[in-house]
Amino acid sequence: MLLWLTTLLNELDVAINLWALGGTGLVAGLLGSVLGVGGGVFIVPMLTLALHLPIQVAIGSSLVAIVANSGTAAGVYTRARWTNVKLGLLLETATIPGAIIGGLAVAFISPSILSALFGLVLLYVAYTMVARRHHVSEDIVSADNSAATDILSGSLANSYYDQNLSKVVGYKVTHVPAGLGASFFAGVLSSLLGIGGGVIKIPVMHLVMGLPMKAAIATGAFMIAITAAVGALLYQYQGYIYPFIVAPLVIGIVIGAVAGVELAQRTRGIVLRRIFGVLLFLVAVLMFLKTASVI
Amino acid sequence: MENMKPDESRLNNWLSLGFKLGIAVSLTLVIIGLVILFSISGTKNIQPLVRLEQIPAAIVISVGILILLLTPIIQVVVAMALFTKARNKLFIGISVAVFCLAVIGLVIALI
Repeated sequence: MLLWLTTLLNELDVAINLWALGGTGLVAGLLGSVLGVGGGVFIVPMLTLALHLPIQVAIGSSLVAIVANSGTAAGVYTRARWTNVKLGLLLETATIPGAIIGGLAVAFISPSILSALFGLVLLYVAYTMVARRHHVSEDIVSADNSAATDILSGSLANSYYDQNLSKVVGYKVTHVPAGLGASFFAGVLSSLLGIGGGVIKIPVMHLVMGLPMKAAIATGAFMIAITAAVGALLYQYQGYIYPFIVAPLVIGIVIGAVAGVELAQRTRGIVLRRIFGVLLFLVAVLMFLKTASVI
Repeated sequence: MENMKPDESRLNNWLSLGFKLGIAVSLTLVIIGLVILFSISGTKNIQPLVRLEQIPAAIVISVGILILLLTPIIQVVVAMALFTKARNKLFIGISVAVFCLAVIGLVIALI
């Protein structure tokens, strides 16, 4: 452990360009707002491939940036009443244990395996970006489900006013066990790979549990902020978070996220998603090449 | 559909305020820390490992990062308090469980 930590410190004896870090955060925040993906899928490869930081440091830094990004979003979404806070807290009872396991496991998994795992996740995200034919609509999920008769599902039912539709959108929540299982898996991946886990949580909440897309995204942001915070605190205490690396990332991602909201309203998301999907595929290839020590 | 709108509104308002306040305070400290760092070490390349003269900047930034990371967890406590006020036993239990799990994670990390 001590020898490994010494090696890690030696790898960090490099000069880091603060503006490059800030720019990385800025682009991650922009992409997150425009494309609906978290910053982790961009930040971790950027920090490892371009800035040559050890992957554990990249993951820890990414988690802190994700807390800033998701926390900012959560502050907006809860005000807009899109967030299903009760569902988010319930799913966090599964996500946090997953995050703890992922955060502790990182010390025992070799960097090359982490890079390979990250490459696999990037391939999945790239596929979802390119394969999806159209942006998922804000359709109201049918409230007619006989499964939502127990007390818990009744308590989780929610509604919000959708300005685009000019009406109140109501929904009930179903398949809670499936949501808990997916949340646990998302928690493990979040801490292990430095991603928010939204690529798992949001589709599950929308497609399986019955949430409208806005509610799924808003609830996801609330959950991701909590999960990433727990993961980041684990990385902090294991010595992987360096203030001078994290600081410009955090500033950049918040500025990017705020600017991205404006940009998202002026761009065709589907075109950007496909372009970004192709880029993610290329980055996944680079991560696999790094794993194989080819680069 | 269960009607708890006044309590739901109060919960959402407090959580929104909590997130915005926490993020604002943490970012302010991080920016102040970066300004201190720039005044000491310039604005371009730096070493990630903290040098002696950079300690004040590192401390300010680290406190800001800690506040950032604690903000979502504090919101869980806020939710717990509001569920207690609303006497919603189910979600008092759930929010307590979430908070305890987060604390367990931190304790494990410290061991």
